[in-house]
Amino acid sequence: MRRSPSAEVGAASATQRTAARGRSGIGRLVPRLPILGDLRLGRRLGWVIPVLIVLVAAIVGYNARAIAQQRGSALIVNTAARQRALVERYTKDVLLAVDGFQADPEDSAEAVRQPVDVLLDGGSVRAPQGDGSRVEIPPARDWRIRRKLEQDRHLIDELIRTGDRLLDGGRADPSYAADVTRLRVLSAQLSSVSNDAVREITQQTEASISRLVRIEIALGLLGVLAALALGLLLRRAGAEQAAQFRSLVNNSSDLITVLAPDGTIAYQSPSVQRLLGRRPADLAGTALSDLVHPDDRHDVNISLTKLAEAPEATADFGCRLQHLDGSWRHVESICTNLTDDPRVNGLVLNIRDVTEQAALRQSISDLLHNLARRSQGLVDRQLELIDELERNEVDPDRLQELFRMDHLATRMRRNVENLIVLSGVDQRRRWSESVPLRDVVEAAVAEVEDYSRVQVAGIHDLTLAGQAASDVAHLLAELVENATSFSSPTTMVKVSGGPTGNGYVLEIEDHGIGMSDADLDEANRRLAAPLAADNIAVSRMMGFHVVGRLAARHGIRVQLRHRWFGGVAALVLLPAALLGSAREHPAMAPPVPAGVMASPEPFLPDSTTASGWQPRAHLPLRPHAAPAPNRGGDTDAAAEAGEPVE
Amino acid sequence: MAWTRAKRRWAWALALVLAALAIAVPLTVARRDEPTPSGTPVNVLLEDFKVRPDAAVVPAGTVSLRLLGHGPTAHELIVVRTDRAPDKLPLQRDGLTVNEEAPGVELVDETEGLLDIDDRQTLTLDLAAGNYVLYCNLEGHYLGGMNAALTVR
Repeated sequence: MRRSPSAEVGAASATQRTAARGRSGIGRLVPRLPILGDLRLGRRLGWVIPVLIVLVAAIVGYNARAIAQQRGSALIVNTAARQRALVERYTKDVLLAVDGFQADPEDSAEAVRQPVDVLLDGGSVRAPQGDGSRVEIPPARDWRIRRKLEQDRHLIDELIRTGDRLLDGGRADPSYAADVTRLRVLSAQLSSVSNDAVREITQQTEASISRLVRIEIALGLLGVLAALALGLLLRRAGAEQAAQFRSLVNNSSDLITVLAPDGTIAYQSPSVQRLLGRRPADLAGTALSDLVHPDDRHDVNISLTKLAEAPEATADFGCRLQHLDGSWRHVESICTNLTDDPRVNGLVLNIRDVTEQAALRQSISDLLHNLARRSQGLVDRQLELIDELERNEVDPDRLQELFRMDHLATRMRRNVENLIVLSGVDQRRRWSESVPLRDVVEAAVAEVEDYSRVQVAGIHDLTLAGQAASDVAHLLAELVENATSFSSPTTMVKVSGGPTGNGYVLEIEDHGIGMSDADLDEANRRLAAPLAADNIAVSRMMGFHVVGRLAARHGIRVQLRHRWFGGVAALVLLPAALLGSAREHPAMAPPVPAGVMASPEPFLPDSTTASGWQPRAHLPLRPHAAPAPNRGGDTDAAAEAGEPVE
Repeated sequence: MAWTRAKRRWAWALALVLAALAIAVPLTVARRDEPTPSGTPVNVLLEDFKVRPDAAVVPAGTVSLRLLGHGPTAHELIVVRTDRAPDKLPLQRDGLTVNEEAPGVELVDETEGLLDIDDRQTLTLDLAAGNYVLYCNLEGHYLGGMNAALTVR
């Protein structure tokens, strides 16, 4: 027995959505898989990325050093060049002073010493841009430069000594001419030495800068290699991941299908070969519905259409798909709408083969149904026997006992019928002619043990379609029995009715202790979506499952509700399609005044209605015009009794 | 299969590194050739501010002046044939450098560029018998004492 296709499309909660992503999104599945590729990638990136970072840092560092060096050397060259001018000024000052002109050779001597001292020992000099700021110069380190600068200093000392001698002696001194020549020669030598030092400094700076450039080129090459290695690694890791994902998909027993927005198959995982005997390439571009069993196609289309309108939503459905050999495979599908994901752009279906489960479920249902059918036959025979005895019994006490037996047997029969309903076999009796609604309600009440506590009031003068009559009676009986068993024996249960816009509502109210909110919600859920008998959850609230199934057959809606003054009200909405009126205008028919249930006679004045439909139960003190009909699916017995059978 | 592919990739990477080295090494380790001197060798030391040949008299013929810069300043060396005293060469107008074009002074050869600390250069000269002066003609160097006599017999 297959499960009826049911779709639960809706705004999935955040957790459901996350789960759905992990479950069926192809594009999202890849980065989530903790597969081997990830680990290897991590290990390799572990060294490639630091190497890359170190290289970049080294290049930046060397650049900064080269720039600093260039700036520093420019300053040093400038300082060295200035010295030449200072030497010339000093020489001129000395000669002017000796000739008696205004000059300050001592000041010039101080100035001429300063640059070489700074270059040799380090210190601050005026910035070349002449804005009065001072710049620090480090002491020269290279020995060649130091030797040249030391020579420079030595010559300056000699220059100043010669100058001092000239200043002291003046023109009158006999060595005047020689000292002047000496001064000029020294000045020329200093100029040459300074030039030489400047040249050396410039050369060395250029050499070190070109060294830096070479190192940078080498580092850049290494950086390019590291980047290439990184790219290769990433590409390989990606390829590995893709291969692993492909093999996961290929070897999975589940199908992964991506449906394009137009309903055709955009991607089909290769596992379809195993499940349906078809090749993925043959399926691409075909419509999924071509594979679906014609009976399921409508429901599947509805589910998918609804899902397609809700991005990110998830839906489940079951259906049958055709194998290439023509057989049908039962499948369950979880689908997720990933049309918003550009990597997928479609509905992702995760399809699982449940043919074996379906077969198992079918055999359990068959077993249940079979057992129930046998029991039903026996109970029916028992009822007939009791009926016989009742008819012939004159002793009121014994008759009372027989009535109790009759009731118990009736309840047993309902239990058996419940099993048949839950087994899912739709094998019920259908009455061709419509039946008064009031009769149906009263028949249902009569099936309940505590019928005396039930008050039927204000049921309109309507008829109920024949094919629904026995199911509605069964349904009402379950609800009424539930109401009587879960309320105090001293309270009454009231059944009333009233027309609504789209049908007729029957209300069964009790004064019991009521239900907790959770229980009420659970019961309403069961009523809305009943499960099959082989489902474990059925053992709780079995009555509600039966009611739910019966209601589903005829499009009836049943709902439980708290009453504000305590107890529970069960609302049964009979759709207008099931209703008719003997007087042509069902909604206009006036309600019958409330009957008092304390006495049984008034609520069932006649056992047989004009339509020939007969109640399910034997009521006490009721004349038996005809044997009780078998209902709930025993067609053989029904056929014997000459009842209309569908 | 996967392994050989991986190996091939690493081989490529290695080849790239080697190619980079092959380009970089000749750039950094370029060396200059030094010609082997011939003729009568004379070692000449150039320093501030002296010219020191290790021989004052050499035989006529090919003479190799093996110059070694001793610094600290860079110097040049000019060889002139003259009968004047080494420190009495005619000067230019600035009074600081020698005038090689003056009468009585014949330019024989001069160094190519300057010799800095530890620089070497060899001047191979074909010298006839006569008096020669070796000097540095950078400003103030000659007058500072950078001259020496060389006699060829």
